[in-house]
Amino acid sequence: MTEIKKQITRFKKKFNFNSKKEVIDFLVRTFFLLSTILSASFIVIIIIFIAQKGVIPFVTDNDGIGRVNLWKFLTGLDWLKGTAFKSNLYGVGFIIINTLYISFFALLISMPIGVLTALFIAKIAPKKIAEFLRTVVELLAAVPSIVYGLFGSGLILTLVYNLAKIFGVQSKGGNSVLAVILVLALMILPTITALSEVAIRSVNKDIEHGSLALGATRTQTNFKVVLSSAKSGIFSAAILGLGRALGEATAVSLVAGNARSGPSLAFFEITSTLTSTMLQGLKETIGIDYDIRFSVGLVLMVVILFSNLTLNFIKKKVGNVDVK
Amino acid sequence: MNNVFNIKNLDLFYDDFQALKNIDLDVEKNKVTALIGPSGCGKSTFIRCLNRMNDLIPSCKIEGNIQYHKEDIYDDNYDVIGLRTDVGMVFQSPNPFPMSIYDNVAYGPRCAGNKNKDKLDKIVENSLKKAALYDEVKDRMNDSAMGLSGGQQQRLCIARAIAMEPEVILMDEPTSALDPIATLKIEELINDLKENYTIVIVTHSMQQAARISDKTAFFLMGELIEVDETDKIFTQPSNQKTEDYITGRFG
Repeated sequence: MTEIKKQITRFKKKFNFNSKKEVIDFLVRTFFLLSTILSASFIVIIIIFIAQKGVIPFVTDNDGIGRVNLWKFLTGLDWLKGTAFKSNLYGVGFIIINTLYISFFALLISMPIGVLTALFIAKIAPKKIAEFLRTVVELLAAVPSIVYGLFGSGLILTLVYNLAKIFGVQSKGGNSVLAVILVLALMILPTITALSEVAIRSVNKDIEHGSLALGATRTQTNFKVVLSSAKSGIFSAAILGLGRALGEATAVSLVAGNARSGPSLAFFEITSTLTSTMLQGLKETIGIDYDIRFSVGLVLMVVILFSNLTLNFIKKKVGNVDVK
Repeated sequence: MNNVFNIKNLDLFYDDFQALKNIDLDVEKNKVTALIGPSGCGKSTFIRCLNRMNDLIPSCKIEGNIQYHKEDIYDDNYDVIGLRTDVGMVFQSPNPFPMSIYDNVAYGPRCAGNKNKDKLDKIVENSLKKAALYDEVKDRMNDSAMGLSGGQQQRLCIARAIAMEPEVILMDEPTSALDPIATLKIEELINDLKENYTIVIVTHSMQQAARISDKTAFFLMGELIEVDETDKIFTQPSNQKTEDYITGRFG
C-alpha cells in the first residue's frame, strides 16, 4: 500500500501535479488528444493508401505495358480510346474540366435556390411551417445518393431527352451534362439549404432590429443586412456543397453516359466525371487499368483541395466580417 | 406645451404577464426625457412601444393609446415604416451592420430610396459630424465598422439614426456596454443633440439621468411612479418610492 502511495507521489512530482483534480484533468485532456489523433490519422492513412496505389502506373512499367507519362495523363483528352491497349491511353485532362464545369453549374443552380429557401425558413415562415420545412430539408440531406441516382435516371433522363428533342438534338437517351448538373444540383440543395439556414438563423437579432428601427422593410433587412451578415456561413455552405458535387459518384454514373473524350461543354452531350471514371468497371479489371483509378482518385482529391482553397480565398476576400 | 408623444392608459402584456400598467406620459419636444428604474421595471419595454419595435415580439399585446403628433401609432392604418424613420433608435449594445462605416450611415437613406451619390456623401458626412465621429473616421470611411471601438460603434449607431433626419431619438441604455470615457463622450453628444432632437433615454444610472436629462420618469414594477423636471425628481420627489430609489434604499 505504501509502495503504491509512493509511486503516486513520485508520479505527481514528475509531472508537477499538485492535486487529484489536476491528475484527472490531465487524463481527460490526454483522452481528448488520443481521440483526435485517431480520427485525424484515418485521413492520413487513406491518403497514403490511395497514393501508394495511385503512383504505381507512373513509376513501374506495369507488367510490360509501359510507364504512364504523368503530364500526358493530366492533360490528355481521351480515356482508353485506341485500337490496341497501351499505357498512353489514359488521360484525365478533359475529365477534370468536365468535373469542374458540371459542379460549377450545379452550384450555380442550387446556391440561389438554397439560400432563398434558407432565408424563407429562417426569417419569413411562421414557426410551425419553418419547423416542418427544416425537417424536410434534413430528410432530403439524408437521402442516399443512389436514390437520387435512380430518380435521376428514371425522371430527369426522360425530361432531358424530351427537352433535347424540342431543340432537335439527339441526346443518347438523356445521358448528358445537363442531366448530371440537375441531379447534382438536387443533391447538394439540401446541404446548402441546411447550412445556410443555420448561418442565417445565427445572425444577431440586434443587427436585424437596428435595420428595422431605421425604417427598413423586412425584405430590405433580410437582403441587405441578414444575408450579408451570414455571408461567411453561406460561403461555408457553398464549400461543402461543392465538395459533395465534386465527390459524388453513384448518382452521377447513372446519368453521365461516360464519355471517353472531351471536354463535354454542350449541355446535351454525354460526359464523364472523375468519380464516374473511377467507378466504371472497377470490379472487373486488374493491373494498370485498376491502379490508374487510384491515380484518378488522387487527382480528384487535389481538385477538391484546390477548389476548396479557392473558395476559402474568395470567402476571406468578400466575407471578411466578424459578426458577433 | 409642445408634446411629441402623448401616451394615455398604456397597458402592455407579454402573454399573461402585464409588463406595463396604465402609463400616462407626455414627451416634450427638444427635451431629454430619461426613464429610470430598477431592472425589469418596464422602461425598455416602454421605449420600444414608441417606435413599435414591440411588434416583433409575437406574444406582446398593447392596450391604450400612444399618439405621435396627435395620431394614434397603433392604428391599423398607421405607417410603421414612416414612424421608424421619424423616431430613430439607438440600442443597448452597439449594433453596427457588418459593412463599411460609410455604408452603415448611408443604409437608412438608401433603404428609403435615396440613391444620389452626392446627396448620400453629404448625409453621411453631416451625420458623422453631428455624432462627433467624423474626425476619427474620415480617412477610413470604407473600412469595416466592426473595426471601431465600442464607443465609436455606438456613436456610429447614433450617426446612423441621425442620417434619417428623425425628430425623436430613442436610446435604450446606450452606454451600458461602454467604458466611462466612451460614456462621457456619448453624454456630451446627447447634450449637443437635444437642440435639434427630442431624446428619450432609458438609463440604469441615476447619475446619468441627473446629468443629461430635462425630465425624468421613474418606473417601478411596470408602473410609472412619478414624472417631473429632473431637478425636482432628484431634490424633492413627491413620491416616497421615488425618494427611496434615488437615495439608494432599494433597486
